[in-house]
Amino acid sequence: MWKLVLPVLCLVVLLLGVGLMEPAAPKADLVIINRGDCNTLDVQRMSWLQDFRVAAALYEGLLTADRFSTSNEKLPGVAESWTVSDDGLIYTFHLRKDAKWSNGKPVTPEDFRYSWRRALLPDLANDYATLFRLIEGGAEFYKWRAAELKRFETESAGVARPVEAQKLWQETLRRFDETVGLTAPDAHTLVVRLVRPVAYFTEMMAFEAFFPIYPPVVEQFEQPSSVTGRLEFSSEWARPPLLVSNGRFKLASWRFKRDMLIVRNEHYWNQADIHANSILMPSVSDPNAQVMAFQTGTVDWLTDVVPDYRAEMIEAKEAFYREHWDDYQKLKARGLDPVAIDRRLPPDPRKNIHVFPTFGTYWYNFNCLPTLPDGRANPMADSKVRRALSMVVDKRSIVENIRRSGETVAEAIIPPGSISGYQSPPGLGFDVEGARALLTEAGYPGGVGLPVIEILFNRDGGHDLIAQSIKRDWEMNLGVSVRLVQKEIKVLRNDLKGRNFMVSRGSWFGDYGDPTTFLDVNRSDDNNNDRGYFSSEFDTLMKASDAERDPAKRMALLAQAEGLLIADDLPLLPIFHYTSTMLFDADKVSGISPLPRQKQDIGLLGKLGDKAAGKTETKPAGTALPREIPVPGPGGSIPVPSGAGQSGVRPLGSGGAN
Amino acid sequence: MLRLILARLAQLPLILLVIYTATLFLAWQIPGSPLDTPEARRPPEEVIRAMEAQYKLDSFWSFYWSYLDNASGVRFAREYITGDAERQLQAARDAGRPVLQRRVFDFGPSLQYEDWRVSEIISASLPVSVAIGALAIVIATVVGVGAGVVGAAKPGSALDAATFVIALIGVSLPSFVSGTVLLLVFPVTLGWGTIGKLEGPGDLILPAITLSLPFAAYIARLTRMGMIEALGADYVRTVRAKGVRPAGVLFRHALKNAGLPVLSYLGPATALAVTGSFVVERLFSLPGMGQHFVNAVLNKDLFLIIGVVLVFAALLVVLNLVVDVLYRWIDPRIS
Repeated sequence: MWKLVLPVLCLVVLLLGVGLMEPAAPKADLVIINRGDCNTLDVQRMSWLQDFRVAAALYEGLLTADRFSTSNEKLPGVAESWTVSDDGLIYTFHLRKDAKWSNGKPVTPEDFRYSWRRALLPDLANDYATLFRLIEGGAEFYKWRAAELKRFETESAGVARPVEAQKLWQETLRRFDETVGLTAPDAHTLVVRLVRPVAYFTEMMAFEAFFPIYPPVVEQFEQPSSVTGRLEFSSEWARPPLLVSNGRFKLASWRFKRDMLIVRNEHYWNQADIHANSILMPSVSDPNAQVMAFQTGTVDWLTDVVPDYRAEMIEAKEAFYREHWDDYQKLKARGLDPVAIDRRLPPDPRKNIHVFPTFGTYWYNFNCLPTLPDGRANPMADSKVRRALSMVVDKRSIVENIRRSGETVAEAIIPPGSISGYQSPPGLGFDVEGARALLTEAGYPGGVGLPVIEILFNRDGGHDLIAQSIKRDWEMNLGVSVRLVQKEIKVLRNDLKGRNFMVSRGSWFGDYGDPTTFLDVNRSDDNNNDRGYFSSEFDTLMKASDAERDPAKRMALLAQAEGLLIADDLPLLPIFHYTSTMLFDADKVSGISPLPRQKQDIGLLGKLGDKAAGKTETKPAGTALPREIPVPGPGGSIPVPSGAGQSGVRPLGSGGAN
Repeated sequence: MLRLILARLAQLPLILLVIYTATLFLAWQIPGSPLDTPEARRPPEEVIRAMEAQYKLDSFWSFYWSYLDNASGVRFAREYITGDAERQLQAARDAGRPVLQRRVFDFGPSLQYEDWRVSEIISASLPVSVAIGALAIVIATVVGVGAGVVGAAKPGSALDAATFVIALIGVSLPSFVSGTVLLLVFPVTLGWGTIGKLEGPGDLILPAITLSLPFAAYIARLTRMGMIEALGADYVRTVRAKGVRPAGVLFRHALKNAGLPVLSYLGPATALAVTGSFVVERLFSLPGMGQHFVNAVLNKDLFLIIGVVLVFAALLVVLNLVVDVLYRWIDPRIS
């Protein structure tokens, strides 16, 4: 008998061994669940939203986005002041003398040159390489290096050539110094020359991809391969204890798929603006468990609420507002932002859910090519058909009955009020009669003669329900027949790239506070132009806006270009603007921005009502509460935030964005 | 016995090579590019080419051989023999660079978690999976064998029916339901334990119970079947005739034979419990290995797919070997 028990005993011993090895989780002032897990802390390789949020806390760029302001002005960051030449081509940044890395060493212009050079290397191959091509000589440098690498690899044919590899690398460094418009005339000045005037260049300086990394450590982990000539990177520097950063926080620990702990950086120049000593980000991926972790008090801020019962939670908050309707209306009339209103209403667990607008839009792509890749004629090539289809989609029903997340109907591509000084033109609206007339004009009266329209979408994320709703709208209102095609996301991405679809679901999140972050994807030569939309009129308008130096005229040109998309050509059909849903107790946590350009900075978080947590909570004079947003009084438009957005930032997981 | 162990271990590399080839072949067929991620902006064509070249994703065979070279330890051995390793080390020392840790079996970088190597991901997650898996199997064995013996003692009784119903629930209830119920009852309602944190061995109990349910149910049925058969056998009648107490008959004599099928099931069951805990890991936010099986495939993270599959295969072979050895040791009739 004991022989049978022995294997089980062995398992128990093994278990105790492993169990005792398990270290306890660290304690922190604030605990947040930041979407999924971080993918990388290497700013030049980032492309996920949750990574950017942490990067904002760990690193600091030349300029900083003001996340609590409605203006487009940038706050100083590492640069305390900056000037622009009259032709808009040369930016001179004056770095502050007390900007320091987390090891106490000063931040220098060379650190930026090093980081940006790294971003411009094909060896690193990052998603945002395109943005760096606005720097003079950047695109040529990238092309030259790519060609040289190709030549090197062909010549060496698998044989190690360490001397030549080193020579190529030295040549690359020399070429960068000589040809790329990035110079450091002294220890505190950085001069950037651009290929053309870029109206939103300061926006980009506050965008994480342009943040600096610490060269003395990083360069220890890169070396040219003697076989390929390519610079080989090891990412060990981007983890504790090696990571050196220059923001409000520094990385204390990062245990894979467990948790990440960041703590106050004592060398940061503005200590008064740090409101927590430590922030813990545990890895919790299940949507239900995330909500339960918040409800049991383990977590202070859940950045993305995604379970099925989200809509019910939002409705419960609306019920809470109705119970306090008079107070709510009074506070709203005072022009307070949603978080400020919540702070002044009585405590209630129902008010912990928050719905804020984001910088993203859900749309449908129309394939504009005359024939599909399989040779069939594409009826969507006719802009009249596209317009007709756009005019009969009941977007309100999609928002109210399917999404139920407080989202707003989209008539334009750019979320309203998200960019200062920009107003989208009106879209087509809902007009069944007009649509039928258009369809007749296109040669398909009553939908007769039109082939079956195929809608391509991916599994998960509720895209099927939206597709069904649109199918019904088109069939009932126009008499066309529609087929739904559901594919895996990877297949869908492939089909989009090959333009192998008639109609497909799509979406976009903006990167920086300028209309081009949304409109550029429709340029003929843009790599994200899935729609095959080639319009010389649109391209001309976009080029004209590139050249225009007067901000108001430039915005008018861009609005004209957007008008072309949403009222005439319809390569895409905007459906709704995304919102983001979070859980946090407004009475306990500060530093979360409710403004439409949802770009949170974890480094701004603080704990309220707990003096032990932050050293000194800085408050604007005259209020007893943390910084809130002044909203224009009656008649004022929706508050317009500043702060960089994110485009192509990958909204992860089961959220609506997928 | 020793011959059996040596022969099996000698087969292991061959088995792994076949599994590697098959897995890579299948994983290569997954549509889409491993470097392309949902909703991301699509970089220019030359950037995509550069990325592919970096990871040797441009051709199947170059990937196949280079991965094999690194993961099998051949490259490590070759560089050691030719002295390349020593030269690189010296070059790093001369340049004042930190000496990078060299791995014998290098599974490459993860394409999704760019700052981590596959080896690091596996070594961080395997202990957690082993802990939950082992605990689940212990619970399943104790509960399952207990329930099986009780049921077999009086077949057809109310107690037997009750264990049958419980076993049926255990098998048919998906773990995302049983796990959620456990979470709602213990941490949320009663306030026992935490959600979203792995703070010590105590936090492994709920996930292990969730994971153990289907195994416990199966073991209960196996035990009951074996026990009923054993209790009807001639030797048990002889034992009873000798005047051994009923408990002694059940546990000392009948269970010895009835336990053998359970033992042979425990090998693959342990391997399955260690690696097949995707839902449980997700539900209880445990940093185990099961999640990587699913996520790596969804992301077409080739390096990680092959890494976890190879580790799982090796685990399965070793555990089966352990069971075979135990079998021979417990039951001398088998040779």
